[in-house]
Amino acid sequence: MTVFTKSQLYLASVFIKIYYRDRQSLVFSILFPIIFMGIFLFSDGEPNRTNIGLVNQSQNELSVQFSESLKQKEIFFVQEGAEDALKESLIAGDIIALIIIPKFFNDSNTGKLQLLLDASQVRQVDSIKDSIESTLLSIEREIRGNEPMFKLELKDIKSRPHRYIDFLLPGILAYMLMNLCIAGSGYNIVEYRRRGILKRLFVTPIQPKDFIISIVLARMFIVLIQLSVILGLAIGLLKINIMGGLLSLFSVIVLGAFIFLCIGFFLGSLAKTQEAIQPIALLFTFPQLILSGIFFPISSLPDIMQPLAHALPLSVIASATRSIANDGANLAGLNFNFLGILIWMLISFVIATKFFDWHKVNS
Amino acid sequence: MPIISAKNLIKKYPNPEKSGETFFAVKDVNLNIEEGEIFGLLGPNGAGKTTTLEMLEGLNNFDEGSIEIDGIDVKVNPYELKKIIGVQLQSNEYFDRLNLSDLLNLFAALYSTSIKPEEILSNVQLENKISALPDELSGGQRQRFSIACALVHNPKILFLDEPTTGLDPQAKRNLWQLAKTLNENGMTIVITTHNMEEAEFLCDRIAIMDQGSIIAQDTPQQLIADHAAEIPERRLQGNLEDVFLNLTGLGLRE
Repeated sequence: MTVFTKSQLYLASVFIKIYYRDRQSLVFSILFPIIFMGIFLFSDGEPNRTNIGLVNQSQNELSVQFSESLKQKEIFFVQEGAEDALKESLIAGDIIALIIIPKFFNDSNTGKLQLLLDASQVRQVDSIKDSIESTLLSIEREIRGNEPMFKLELKDIKSRPHRYIDFLLPGILAYMLMNLCIAGSGYNIVEYRRRGILKRLFVTPIQPKDFIISIVLARMFIVLIQLSVILGLAIGLLKINIMGGLLSLFSVIVLGAFIFLCIGFFLGSLAKTQEAIQPIALLFTFPQLILSGIFFPISSLPDIMQPLAHALPLSVIASATRSIANDGANLAGLNFNFLGILIWMLISFVIATKFFDWHKVNS
Repeated sequence: MPIISAKNLIKKYPNPEKSGETFFAVKDVNLNIEEGEIFGLLGPNGAGKTTTLEMLEGLNNFDEGSIEIDGIDVKVNPYELKKIIGVQLQSNEYFDRLNLSDLLNLFAALYSTSIKPEEILSNVQLENKISALPDELSGGQRQRFSIACALVHNPKILFLDEPTTGLDPQAKRNLWQLAKTLNENGMTIVITTHNMEEAEFLCDRIAIMDQGSIIAQDTPQQLIADHAAEIPERRLQGNLEDVFLNLTGLGLRE
């Protein structure tokens, strides 16, 4: 490779060596994605059934038929038993609602079902009531043999996986990329400067851009490995579908790493102390977590915020990874986001080199 | 033709105690250092020694004046300068988890050269520490290693900033011997120190700085003859401290 000088490549290899010899952070950086995926694995399977109780005081043919139908509904886990015991379960929070079928339960008296709820669980009451009502309606139809008038059929226009996690993961990947990079360059540089290591380096004829390029190369390599592990686990364990090419995805990750590493350098130059880098970095990362469409689409933000939100560095990277992962876009098809990435690369490199400060700060 | 020629150097800072006023860290400093000599820069704490040294090393900007080192204008071409000088800094911290061999190879790479770490280390008597980490070295060994790092590219001029501060007498003598040997092989050495014995033992010529200015500049022998409060009985022995105190006063410095 002639793009990089020998000094730059050597320095990059030294940074990788330093990182590789740091066993503790090596262990944690592998442990982290595993734990991270574990959380998703357990929290984002099929939604849990809602526990409800059923007291059948009637025990006639109709009520038994009703209770059997209710038990077959997938959204409920029905626990049938005595009223007193189930009321205690309701108060203890083991069941969310209690349906009581009265003694006199027949065709003309079905409306007299009693629904007991714990009002302190207010947040869930409405949705529980709705789903119980619609369930009752469908049971009524089954029993009476009526055909429903309307039926909703879910069909995705993009014919892609429509699970929330498929939306979430590319954004989370971009967010992790940002955090890993800023920790990798910003935090390090403050520490190196404080200890006078940077000064020692700049006694030699290397220039700030050599140093920045070296750390960027080294960290890029490290981040690529970290994200590959995460991505591998996501595909393997969470069955995430990557519709587009992995090459395009990794290209975006590499370019994103460049942007965030350079921004990390810039933030590290702004921060004069180890204490200052934390809030400064948070000030940069946290608003983007909200504004960059990681957990919900940017289109759900107020109109006035949207142009700004779309232009944020995390937005262009997250949108790019999502287009590739969910919609099967390739690098050339990213248009706006690809342009955004190029512009941010330029901005970040300029601010990283221009503001770079290796002088030891005398306290 | 001196190898280092500094003319009318001035370095100003805003005065931290009185706003609006400027504080002269270095005030109208002129230095001529000949090739092959050991030149000492002496002065109390805060006199401007390190600032002057850093300006000569191309690490610190100066507001006025000019520095020419081996035909290189330092202000115009600091990166060319850095190729021919070796620098030992007061603080000598290195990247974690790299041993002496790794670090020497790293510094060599930064000068786009390659070296045999064991050869460099044997010059400073550290050849048996090649796989040690800097943290595992004693104070004297650390200073010698710091000099070793400054030697990877075989510089023309070596800058030493208070190299023996905090060392025991044995380590101090050992380091002096190292400096002498390097000098005998043709290296020009510029050294800052508070240690008068060191200046007298090592230096061909000395400049004494106080409050940003050079207040005396000559050979140790001549300075003693000119400024020692009493002419010593045994001529030119051990009284440079008298010169120093006579010129800079007895007040404590922070």
